[in-house]
Amino acid sequence: MRLLRRAMVALSLAGAIAGLLRIRGKGGVPPQEGGWRELSVPPRAGESTASP
Amino acid sequence: MVSATESDAARLRRPQAIVGVVGCGVTGFRVVAHLLRAGIRVAVHDPAATASGDGSRVVVPRGAVAVDVVDDLLVADMVVLCTPSPHAPMVSRCIRAGVPVVSIGDDLADVRAMLDLDRAAVAGGVRAVVGAGMAPGLSGLLAAYLSTQLDMVDELHIAVHGTAGPACARQHHDALGSRSIGWHDGQWVELPGGSGRELVWFPEPIAAHDCYRAAIADPVLLRRSFPSVERLSARVSATRRDRLTARLPMLTPPHASGDLGAVRAEARGARADGARHDVIAGAAGATADLAAAVCAAVTMALLDAGDSLAPGVHSPSDDSMRPLDLLARTVALGVRLQEFTGVARSTSW
Repeated sequence: MRLLRRAMVALSLAGAIAGLLRIRGKGGVPPQEGGWRELSVPPRAGESTASP
Repeated sequence: MVSATESDAARLRRPQAIVGVVGCGVTGFRVVAHLLRAGIRVAVHDPAATASGDGSRVVVPRGAVAVDVVDDLLVADMVVLCTPSPHAPMVSRCIRAGVPVVSIGDDLADVRAMLDLDRAAVAGGVRAVVGAGMAPGLSGLLAAYLSTQLDMVDELHIAVHGTAGPACARQHHDALGSRSIGWHDGQWVELPGGSGRELVWFPEPIAAHDCYRAAIADPVLLRRSFPSVERLSARVSATRRDRLTARLPMLTPPHASGDLGAVRAEARGARADGARHDVIAGAAGATADLAAAVCAAVTMALLDAGDSLAPGVHSPSDDSMRPLDLLARTVALGVRLQEFTGVARSTSW
């Protein structure tokens, strides 16, 4: 009887922790398509700040 | 702000200008280096070195002049604040002294205090720019760029990863343990820092990190720059340990020279045909490099603008600051921008 009660408590705790972890945020996986590419911003006409 | 046709004449003013930089840490050092390379004379005061009792220990880039007393910088043509927060008291002093000022500060309360100085700045005929770092700063410039890609913008969401110097790391730690702020359907909402987990894919090489709400100032400044946007949020990346210890003192010392960081901006809205569309842009690199490039670009733009910019407190993403010009200046200073080419998935933001 004691063993059964301990098993029930352990299962309940595990379920509660798993549930907590699930509801603490949706998270997710990184996008499986696409990616990052260089973005070019048109330079300002007549302006160069890289050198004096 | 100065237009492209005025820029040559404006640049002639630069070599005459003296910029006083307060704080020469990881980010401040890089700001000074950018300004020196642009031919601007720079004087530096480092409160940390002064506090240690040995002002001679302050290390400044070659060509800059170190001063022991911060008041000596109030005679400069402009003051740039690269110290840990708060910046509002020094901005107030600059306004009283009639000196234009640029702040790199990102503390939420501090940014609000600086914005509250707008009336004093207008009355004094002084120009101040706040939030001229990575976030706020580059984040707002990216948002301004993304807003040009849509006909109507409903939502702007910012995510940040990484810290510059030790002070920045402490600020990041404190922000995660404080209440965040966001703009949601016409009202400000305050939610606990460390909540609202979202997996955010930053530009390479940073890639995917869990991000959480935090007390960062981006929504406050974006609200000023994009008043028609209905939802604004900002999140920072954090580990589970960061979240667990956010309300405690920092348990491990921050990285002395900062680390790699990234900023990501996402705009949601509609195009001319009414179709919903999301656009995402970001930048990655050494966090201090990203922040310093924005700060230097803003400083040079403010010098070039002279009296053409109206007195008051501005943020880099304000129309008055010509954010796309600032973004181009930032790229010219070495920031590599990236855009996401995939289809953004909906989140709970």
